[in-house]
Amino acid sequence: MMEKIGLWFEERMGWRPIWTALALRNIPKVNWFYTLGSATLLVMINQILTGILLTIYYVPSPQDAYSSVSFITNEITAGWLIRGLHHWGASAMVVLAGLHMIRVVVHGAYKFPREVTWFTGLGLLAVTMAFGFTGYLLPWDQKAYWATTVGTRMLEVVPVIGPWLLRFARGGEELSAVTLTRFYGMHIWVLPAALLLLVGIHMFLVVRIGISAPPKAAESESEEPDVEVEA
Amino acid sequence: MAKMSRRTFLSRVTTTMVGGIGALMGIPTVAYLVSPAKARGGLGVDAIPLGPAAKVPVGEPTLFKAAIERKTGWVTQTEELAFYIFTEDGRNFTAMSNVCTHLGCRVRWVDGDEQFFCPCHAAVFNKNGTVASGPPPRALDQYEISVEDEQLFIVGKVEA
Amino acid sequence: MKPEERSEYLEKYAEDKKKGIPFFPDAVFKDVLVGFLVLVVLIALAYFGGAPLEERANPSDSDYTPRPEWYFLWLFQLLKYFPGNLEFVGVILLPALGFAVLFAMPYLDKTKLRHFSNRTWVMGSLGVAVVGMGFLTVQSMIDIPLPADVTGEINAAALFTDNCSVCHGASITISSGTNLHETIAGGHEGMPAFAATLSTDEIDALAGFVVSPQGGAIFTANCAQCHDSGDLAAVSPFELQAALSQGTGYAAHAGLDIPEWDDVVFGQDRTALLNFLLAPDGQRLYTLYCSECHGRSIDWEGDRDQLEVLIREGGNHLEMTQWRDVLPESEIILLAQYVVEPSTSPDGEPLFAQHCSDCHGVRVPTAPDVETAIAIIADGAEHRSMPLWGDVLTEEQLTALVTYTLDASRGTPVIIGQELFGRLCSSCHGDFGEGGPNPSDASDIIAPISTALYLETRDDATLRAIISKGQPDQGMAPFLDSEGGPLTEDEVAAVVAFLRSWEDDPPVDFPPDLSRGPVAGGSAQVFSAFCAQCHGDDGAGGPGLVGPSLTSDEFQDSHTDESLHDAIAQGHAATSMIAWGEVLTSSQIEGLVQHIRSLGGRGAAQTIVYSRDIAPIFQASCSGCHGSSGGWDAATMTTVIESGNSGPAVVPGDPDGSTLVKRLRGDGNLMPPSSALPDSQIELIVQWIAGGATAEVSVGEGPSADGDYTWTADVRPILQASCNACHGSSGGWDASTYDSTINSGNSGPAVMPGDADNSTFIKRLLGEGALMPPRAPLSDDQIATLIYWVNSGAAE
Repeated sequence: MMEKIGLWFEERMGWRPIWTALALRNIPKVNWFYTLGSATLLVMINQILTGILLTIYYVPSPQDAYSSVSFITNEITAGWLIRGLHHWGASAMVVLAGLHMIRVVVHGAYKFPREVTWFTGLGLLAVTMAFGFTGYLLPWDQKAYWATTVGTRMLEVVPVIGPWLLRFARGGEELSAVTLTRFYGMHIWVLPAALLLLVGIHMFLVVRIGISAPPKAAESESEEPDVEVEA
Repeated sequence: MAKMSRRTFLSRVTTTMVGGIGALMGIPTVAYLVSPAKARGGLGVDAIPLGPAAKVPVGEPTLFKAAIERKTGWVTQTEELAFYIFTEDGRNFTAMSNVCTHLGCRVRWVDGDEQFFCPCHAAVFNKNGTVASGPPPRALDQYEISVEDEQLFIVGKVEA
Repeated sequence: MKPEERSEYLEKYAEDKKKGIPFFPDAVFKDVLVGFLVLVVLIALAYFGGAPLEERANPSDSDYTPRPEWYFLWLFQLLKYFPGNLEFVGVILLPALGFAVLFAMPYLDKTKLRHFSNRTWVMGSLGVAVVGMGFLTVQSMIDIPLPADVTGEINAAALFTDNCSVCHGASITISSGTNLHETIAGGHEGMPAFAATLSTDEIDALAGFVVSPQGGAIFTANCAQCHDSGDLAAVSPFELQAALSQGTGYAAHAGLDIPEWDDVVFGQDRTALLNFLLAPDGQRLYTLYCSECHGRSIDWEGDRDQLEVLIREGGNHLEMTQWRDVLPESEIILLAQYVVEPSTSPDGEPLFAQHCSDCHGVRVPTAPDVETAIAIIADGAEHRSMPLWGDVLTEEQLTALVTYTLDASRGTPVIIGQELFGRLCSSCHGDFGEGGPNPSDASDIIAPISTALYLETRDDATLRAIISKGQPDQGMAPFLDSEGGPLTEDEVAAVVAFLRSWEDDPPVDFPPDLSRGPVAGGSAQVFSAFCAQCHGDDGAGGPGLVGPSLTSDEFQDSHTDESLHDAIAQGHAATSMIAWGEVLTSSQIEGLVQHIRSLGGRGAAQTIVYSRDIAPIFQASCSGCHGSSGGWDAATMTTVIESGNSGPAVVPGDPDGSTLVKRLRGDGNLMPPSSALPDSQIELIVQWIAGGATAEVSVGEGPSADGDYTWTADVRPILQASCNACHGSSGGWDASTYDSTINSGNSGPAVMPGDADNSTFIKRLLGEGALMPPRAPLSDDQIATLIYWVNSGAAE
């Protein structure tokens, strides 16, 4: 049955070569640490999905933001779960991305030919941090308000353009409705666009170049030239 | 039991877990999305006081208005509801919505004709709310009414 | 990597791949399994940890201690090590540098070696970075709770946690000689002035904790079981010394199961404990130990070392004359009275200057009552000699005390500042910084500068800058000498210190305390809670009050009900009148408008006060010519009435027969000669004379003292006539008693005092829902009475 359906689509879409290239390729023998990247990806999907769900009830205005978040948490079925997944997912994303990066550094996987993968990965880390920072304000509770007040104030110490940067980030001198809407816009449009672009390149390269093999210790590496000579 | 290849086994376990992830994410998602649909119409309050029963003249539908506070989501709004109250004997009362069942215009009691008249599409309802002529699909909506202490209260909607 | 190394790698990789595993299902299985576990963990976290949501954001709550999300904590902690100008390094430079290094990794680590054992340098840096960030995060997490964990009994620790640790971390290193009290109270370099939010005691507790955090720990370990740190701070140092050195031999400690303190707390620990209990705050030490004998300060012209020796060694260093041998008893009594309260006995001042100021300086010593003062003055030398403070105080305390005493002998900044303020600032800002009309711009009102809010929201640097450079666009000149003004930098600082002295007890209580929340009750209560602070209890304004009179005819006539309503709801941008629309409901504001109307004319009782209402008219229009040189004299109330070329100008009770009124009306020679006074002023003078021409004259008659209706007098008759027939005690609304009129009802209380719009009672009267009484509405007057009764608080 499944095969018939598969065939029907194959004749009309020609998906099998793509599937073969993506899934049925060989990769070097890897260990469990290589799952950190895909775990990060899964959490990212979780963030996108729960984030989209949250926008269904959330209103980014100082009058409504807190009430709507409270409504989601306390009154909507499974609202606590969706918000909880988004909240903890944000932390998990940072943790997993960090561990993933440590794995890459330990394996020297940023070396040739994977430099671009490494650059996009760093970009993704920065975007993740920016997500955390902008998302923190959205519930418009005390913690959100004051942490963002302090966080944006840090921009002021930049020489020369500091005060301008502060006003740019806040959309004015003080934290206000304008700050909330621009953080919202950043959080649900600008940053996701950047995220998807970078993830797209990152994933493409993972498939195209292949993931690095776990390197071997010094002895074997130093022996390698000999092997080659013999070959 | 047929011997299963490692490959088949891994494929099945993987597919099952993907399904598990889908269920873990999907079920709450559906619950979350349909949640507000659970709130049915209804009055939104227990009872709407209308005033003394003595105010309703026998044999003539009388318009009563009442404001109720309705909470939708996190926003509370004040809504004004209006009812035609009608009694034949001063003891048993019926309450009708003044909203035309055709397209929602407000109907008006016309004394001389002893009928409700809707100005939008010339619908006419009888004294008991049934359709006399015009486009409306059904009689005026009815409400449950109770009399306590000579005071009238709307206590619910009569389901058709 | 060299080109051949690259191709070598690619070949090797192709080989690895061939020998490898299929991506699906082997690798995917691992990925999905881990992903599944991660999701389960997330759901568990969401279930057990929930999604935190605190109170709604409150921008006016400045007490909240913000903390960033945990993964930013390390950065937050890093900032604590980069104070002041270096902040830039911690906030921007280090993180940017870190990111730049990460980006450059492929080029910094460019050998072909990939195994970690061959890349010690990279692994080492990674380890340092990870451990460092972990350490900073942990540090940040334990930093803040630390002092609070010491014990709940030491409020100093809690104060430290609340106020200091966010910026300063777990402890502060201070250089010796810092006047901590002044620093904490006045703020510095971006640190807020805490004088506005903390009491003097709290600031000292904090200073003690900062100087000796270990003292806090010693206190907790040894004393906190029985003592509260605050109690001991007020105890005399002799007692503390005795208690510590005598152990169980100390009377109050007798029979207790305690160790010999000498064996447990000694040396540095003892110093730390004493410093903790009594912060090295010179001013406080002086107040506690010296002011009893020396008054507010001593007169000292020697150098610091001499003073220190004197304080350290104490003894009978000053011998006061036995004044009973020198002065008559009457002068001693006069001096004693002056000493107890200088302002009430100004006659004592020359005596004091003549006999006492040689030793006491211009500062007057204090005495609790006249008898004690007489005894001290009369007995002279027998007054107590000074203890050996060197034995009692710690070095830190002694240094602080000497510094303060020396400073105070030269006049404390506050006193100098007060004198300067009175001379230079008070003409515009008022004696108490209460502000008032701007002399350089008639359309402007200068807002108060002595409110808690004003002082709290400006640090010393800001105040210094304002005074130094002035506010040219608002007509304030620069005051610093280098800007062309009269003051030196020290003097500017002294004025700031004087302004700060208001913080303990702001003379102008404005903006008013809104924390009490919406006021229930009638317009009179609302008025006295909010309006009376500036406009006076009777709304008549007056000296020392910021707001204008609301009762004057001029005010009442120049405002419509609508403009009054707008002014209350929206405030005046130029003055200190704030927008009450955010605090009061619209029906409360409407009630206030009515109340203000009732304060003014409209038949309400009104008082004409000569000094407030009449004298200014004469001052402005008459006294230019009518002085004490003969004829009518407009100077005082007595002369206004009694003087005159042809007998007394005023006949009390008879305005028409008074020459003054005749002249004002143009009967005889019109006065003032060129232009008559405005009618309203003439009317006011006429009323004052008609009322008897005394210091206070009441005119007009009002319905009742407070103008409010009551249930008993005004509401019950209406209810009896129109409601009680149906609404008795049989259920539903019950109009038979005051309580039931308000609280009973089919759908909750029928009357919401202060809010007629939402009172079912009033709604029914107006025909909302169901008209009451059915088919026979009350008259408009009756309804108006009832609405006013409800809006004014529904009094019994």
